[in-house]
Amino acid sequence: MADIAIPKDLWDVGKTPEGIVANWFFTEGGSVAEGATVAEIMVEKSTFDITAPSAGRLHISVPKDGVVKPGAVIGHIDSA
Amino acid sequence: MSSNRIMTVSRAMSEAIAQEMRADPNVFVMGEDVGAYGGIFGATSGLLGEFGESRVRDTPISETAFIGAGVGAAMAGMRPIVELMFVDFFGVCMDAIYNLAAKNVYFSGGNCKVPMVIMTGTGGGYSDAGQHSQTLHATFAHLPGLKVVAPSNAYDAKGLMTTAIRDDGPVMFMFHKGLQGLAWMASPEGAATELPEESYVLPFGQAKIVRPGKDVTIVAISMMVHHAMEAAKALEKEGVDAEVIDLRTLVPLDRKTVIQSVKKTGRLIVVDEDYKSYGLTSEIIASVVEENPAYLKSPPRRLAVPDVPIPYSRPMEQYILPDAVDIAAAVRATLGKKAA
Amino acid sequence: MPSKSQFLWMYETMEKARYYEDTIAVAYMEGKQPKFDIGAGPLPGEMHLAAGQEPCAAGVCVHLRADDTVTATHRPHHAAIAKGVDLKKMTAEIFGKKTGLAGGRGGHMHLLDPAVNFACSGIIAQGAGPAVGAALAAKLRGTDAVAVSYVGDGAANQGGFHEALNLASLWKLPVIFVIEDNSWGISVPKAKSTAIKDNSLRAAGYAMPGFHIADNDTLKLFDVAGEAVARARTGGGPTLIEVETYRYYGHFQGDPETYRPKGEVAALKAKDPIARFRKTMIETKVATAAEADAALARAKAEVDEAFAFARAAAYPAPEEALAHVFA
Repeated sequence: MADIAIPKDLWDVGKTPEGIVANWFFTEGGSVAEGATVAEIMVEKSTFDITAPSAGRLHISVPKDGVVKPGAVIGHIDSA
Repeated sequence: MSSNRIMTVSRAMSEAIAQEMRADPNVFVMGEDVGAYGGIFGATSGLLGEFGESRVRDTPISETAFIGAGVGAAMAGMRPIVELMFVDFFGVCMDAIYNLAAKNVYFSGGNCKVPMVIMTGTGGGYSDAGQHSQTLHATFAHLPGLKVVAPSNAYDAKGLMTTAIRDDGPVMFMFHKGLQGLAWMASPEGAATELPEESYVLPFGQAKIVRPGKDVTIVAISMMVHHAMEAAKALEKEGVDAEVIDLRTLVPLDRKTVIQSVKKTGRLIVVDEDYKSYGLTSEIIASVVEENPAYLKSPPRRLAVPDVPIPYSRPMEQYILPDAVDIAAAVRATLGKKAA
Repeated sequence: MPSKSQFLWMYETMEKARYYEDTIAVAYMEGKQPKFDIGAGPLPGEMHLAAGQEPCAAGVCVHLRADDTVTATHRPHHAAIAKGVDLKKMTAEIFGKKTGLAGGRGGHMHLLDPAVNFACSGIIAQGAGPAVGAALAAKLRGTDAVAVSYVGDGAANQGGFHEALNLASLWKLPVIFVIEDNSWGISVPKAKSTAIKDNSLRAAGYAMPGFHIADNDTLKLFDVAGEAVARARTGGGPTLIEVETYRYYGHFQGDPETYRPKGEVAALKAKDPIARFRKTMIETKVATAAEADAALARAKAEVDEAFAFARAAAYPAPEEALAHVFA
């Protein structure tokens, strides 16, 4: 199992404390390839792509529009 | 092929463009902020990194020049995709579109090709006022020589974009900003769809029955398809079975699917986010009536922006834009039913 | 050199515009956090702020009268304030309220105030033609009114801009074209959009005088604009002025600005034109610090009052959308 985590230094929390999960690009339980763009994080109007750390089945723990901070785990990948 | 990948319209567009750029060195993109920014509405996101500044060209704010240049490059054998950021900006480059792109195939008796795509953002609903919120479907569909596409979802957007790039004539690809799936603009559920990885085409001029029904036909396009579906869901609870048709392209126009549907249901509602008069809504109704007015059991109804510029202030803008409540009310009226 | 009252007027006007923009920037984010939805909050839609560009407004409009015309851009607030647009009605318009300039129909990119002959548009360079028209009207009527057309550096690459310059020069019309060169057309830097480095040189192509104001210098602009307005009023025809100015905010609020070099804005703010202007005003003993402070306090109070007015105002009834389509 590999966590899908938001990089700790993705944005400056001094300026904007929180972001949101703007989009998931795969459904719960969907199979993804390593490196595939699985989600999109929005901080103010900037968006950042989040990629799959490994191949396997996607499990979503923070749904679309969920509020997140850098370092947060938003889901994980079960190796197939 | 089924996929579990759910993609937004903007990503579907940029994926279609990328796949065509890989397959054909003649395809290139130009427009304002299409490079590093990735297009203000995300339609060219990621392209600069893969294809470089030569094929993904940021332009000056000079639409007459770069859309005119698109016509010339297309006639010289390239396949340019040019972005007109907001369709409202057509005024500064209409000659290149209306008198050159649309007519040069005809002026050459078919000897010249103009394989260009003009993609442009349409629609309102987020208080951007009257110079940044128009839809203008009919302005382009009215003119002979342009094909006009207006997808309602990611799957259609990718297939229609691929078809548009491969078309030998000019295509207006009118995408609704509120369907793009941009993180910063609300988008209806259903605009993002499962999206196959591989390249595919969708033929122009084939409407899609997105919800079969027997009581009434609701014809819509672009954003209005989603409102029509929402209305159909609400009506289902009242025992009304609505058929919803997504036209997908204005030119060519799939009159046949609409007429077949009305023949079955006997009732017709047409909904469009463009201005009401002289528009898509009346075109559809005229097409049905020309075929056979007896198909209609009650007067058809059209829902569109009343003939006013798009106002800025939220209460006024929401009032003039057709929505699911308006559509359901029109359906009830055409069925002679009282409000639920 | 400006007179004391001109000095203080320009200072107060620039401070008012700055405070106005900074106040809007905060209000704009209401209802948009943590999820930024452009259509949400009391100030929905696009918002283009002009903080950093205040000299362009004050240094030119100080020479104007109410019967002179100004056409501004999609980034219009500073120019509107300098031209004397009713601040309460303008703010109510930006909040989409019934008491706004257009009853909420136009919003921030479409501020039209006939009382002071001010208009703006969200279509790049399209104020240039109407400014020529206002100048033509003045000439035909035999008044000495002038027109100022503000455009951005991006708009200087639009056909409409060039056609307007030619027409104004051909007919020797009293127009001052002011290019606010903030170095950026959304994400595209001037060097990547404009074949010529200094747009004022383009004046030569239209047989009119051209001037370049370096580094957002309010006093230099005051001099050049004063001469241009005097020339226009006395039948000398049009002038083109390009002002090197600063854009502190993004193209619009919420612009991620990933295209912008790190530290650019901080470097510009370190040489803020209003701070420089105030320093000069006090050091040259034109006005005292106390007088400057009083002007600043007046400016802020007026802005605060306008925002309070706008927030308290009612929204228009939905069906008011149908009114005023025709004259």
